[in-house]
Amino acid sequence: MIMFALRTVLKMAITLFVIITLVFFATRLSGNPIDIVVGEGLTQEDRAVLTAYFGLDAPVWEQYLRYLRSILAGEFGISFLERRPVSQIVAERIGPSLQLLASSLALTLAVAVPLGIAAALYRKSWIGSAVMIVAFLGYAVPNFVLAIFMILIFAFTLNWLPVVGNGSPWHFVMPTIAMSGVLIAALTRFTRNAMLDVLGQDYMRTARAKGLPEHVVIFKHGLKNAGVTILSVLGLQIAGMAASGNVVIEAIFSWPGIGDLLVRSAIMRDYPVLQFGVISVALAVVVINAVVDIAYAWADPRIRLAGG
Amino acid sequence: MLRLLLSTALATGLAVTAQAQEITVGAANVSSYLDPGRDHSNVGSQFYYNAFDTLIGKNHDVIGAEWRPALATEWQLVEPKVMELKLRQGVTFHNGEEMTADDVVFSLNRMYQATFAPYLVRSRDRLGNFTGAEKVDDYTVRITVEKEEPLWETLLNLQQVMIIPEEYTKALAGDPTVAEDSDFEAFSLAPVGTGPYRVSEFVPGERVVYERFDGFWGEPAPLARATVRHIPETASRLTALKTGEADIVTNIAPDQLALIESDDSLRAVGSATPLFHVMIMNMNHPKLRDPRIRQAMSLAIDRDTLNEALWLGKAVVPSSHTLAEYGDLYMPELKTFEYNPEKARQLLQEAGYDGFEITFDTHPVYYTNGLLAAQAITEMWAEVGLKGRVDVAEMWSGNDPEMMARNWSNPMYFADPFGSFGVMWAPGGPSQSEGRFNTDAEYAEIWERFRFSKDVAARKAAYAELMERIRQDPPVLPLYRPYESWAMKKNVNWAPKPGHIPYVLDFRAGSISFSDS
Repeated sequence: MIMFALRTVLKMAITLFVIITLVFFATRLSGNPIDIVVGEGLTQEDRAVLTAYFGLDAPVWEQYLRYLRSILAGEFGISFLERRPVSQIVAERIGPSLQLLASSLALTLAVAVPLGIAAALYRKSWIGSAVMIVAFLGYAVPNFVLAIFMILIFAFTLNWLPVVGNGSPWHFVMPTIAMSGVLIAALTRFTRNAMLDVLGQDYMRTARAKGLPEHVVIFKHGLKNAGVTILSVLGLQIAGMAASGNVVIEAIFSWPGIGDLLVRSAIMRDYPVLQFGVISVALAVVVINAVVDIAYAWADPRIRLAGG
Repeated sequence: MLRLLLSTALATGLAVTAQAQEITVGAANVSSYLDPGRDHSNVGSQFYYNAFDTLIGKNHDVIGAEWRPALATEWQLVEPKVMELKLRQGVTFHNGEEMTADDVVFSLNRMYQATFAPYLVRSRDRLGNFTGAEKVDDYTVRITVEKEEPLWETLLNLQQVMIIPEEYTKALAGDPTVAEDSDFEAFSLAPVGTGPYRVSEFVPGERVVYERFDGFWGEPAPLARATVRHIPETASRLTALKTGEADIVTNIAPDQLALIESDDSLRAVGSATPLFHVMIMNMNHPKLRDPRIRQAMSLAIDRDTLNEALWLGKAVVPSSHTLAEYGDLYMPELKTFEYNPEKARQLLQEAGYDGFEITFDTHPVYYTNGLLAAQAITEMWAEVGLKGRVDVAEMWSGNDPEMMARNWSNPMYFADPFGSFGVMWAPGGPSQSEGRFNTDAEYAEIWERFRFSKDVAARKAAYAELMERIRQDPPVLPLYRPYESWAMKKNVNWAPKPGHIPYVLDFRAGSISFSDS
């Protein structure tokens, strides 16, 4: 078991190293921050002065080694634009993003799990079909389309809900729904399938045969077993959402989070911030993956033995 | 539930009306740093005038140069190359320090004798003639120049030489008695000036909050508080006006003006911003060395049609590289650029154009309508037989020897031809330095006369000569002054003032008020 965990961590480290390397060189191929950070009209002489100021005058491989060293020391560099540590900037931004993620997660669980169970239990009635149709539709509507429709109705026309920032609980309503839409659709379908798998199992029949009430059978024996798989899928979905979903939704709702920061640093070629952003998203995905792997192995000896 | 939502929304709306002295501005972009010295960006220029003062002020209600005392109450040349300024007494910075000659000398010399890279770069192109400032007594300073300076007031009115506190800045980082790079970097996150508003909160890229500064030396600020916050999406900015979350929003696209005009509670103001979107052409590209080819590229472009199609006719197409904001130096009589497809065809024939392809580089989104203009321009080239191709890339190609033509902009950094054409097209300036523009001894001589003649007529004559050189061997075509709009609630009386550089959000006394509605 320990060997398996070590192998997983090693794989994780290698993946991260590859990502850090790719991100470092990809950002440098994509354009020069000096053109954008400083604006129009630079002589070559001035350009050289600023290149040195931003530490971009050293050979790229040397910058790369310097960057690796600073990461090992726990520092992610200084923003070109703001001239303060990236970690400080991100610390300012991470709160609002996590709040939105948490509210979306809560809404997703609250809606998708009951719907999924209902769809599984009533799979042969119209209820099950209706749930699945709604889930398919939800999956087909991109979150930004949902966001813009909501804004048009609830803010622009009816003037019920605010659209800018995260100042009050009301500010959470539309971004949370927009972020959760696709996730709810996905998780509903997944919960339904997981429940269907479980419902046919022998232990469910045994539980019923023991004379347990139906809700105990469903929730204690059914959902508990389906739950592990549901949560692992949700974990990966969230990591993905942290990467992409946030960027668009945060822009639309002027949410002062990481997504907004990433967009700006990409446009302005603020390499240190951009690198840190991509790396932290990668880290989230990799860690969640590893945790899921290890949890599976812990739960199922076959995986850790076959895990080579 | 709906009723609850509704009543909350109403209550929010009422609260806003009750405190009309506070406003929220939804801005497409918010600065990532606030230091007037190192900044000359269009994003940054929005923010400085509320919180900082220059030594010499300006009447921004009028076009042209109407100078006014600001932090300096009087100024006069004591020698041909030395200006002496008397400082206003009793001026306090937002941190409570009193402003003295030391602060002024510190602020000026941080630019005139710059060592911090971002200052160095900003001062070279416009303040190169200024050698230094020195203190005479606590309320008198002297500024020295290298050559006799005809633009004293203009260049003491620049955003880059706004006054900041010495002690405060030096103490921000490292040794509190020495001005280090880290001090200036820290200052740009915690700016302090002498203006009618202090920056009470600054979250880079996110929001700037101004609060009325009661210790201001001049007419008190009309607003108790103004919050400028980042609302990146145009649709969200407009919606924020409707929901009452913003009172003014910036950067409304021309095609959205109709939406505002159709709404009784909103209004829009706009103006053709004093900056040019331009097309630049590489004089040194092997295929474009013949000026006739570049003349044809320029003559083929029907800028009025571009204006009609892309800007609903609200942009302004110039006949020369000249802006009304220059006042006495405005020269609309110059006919440097024109649309003449016949002549373009003829020139191409004379030059023996063999149908080679000319690429036009453009960033996908950086300039409003930039990509559309590029496409239209290559179509217009096709009309006269020029084969063009649009190349969309985010990379700046202005310093690439392979670059043939591309879009760029020439902002008006200050209201003088030196502040726009002069910065970009000076001998040894950015354009020449990037290898796409050549100057010779004659050009340099004309440029000297334009830059340093003390007589306005002599400067105008020299500028006309420069424009003639540009016409004969063109490196640039100003396309238009883009039209910029701001939208606001009907009860807000605000508009960009004609005496400012582009994009200034001026909330000083006399610049913003509210009407009952």
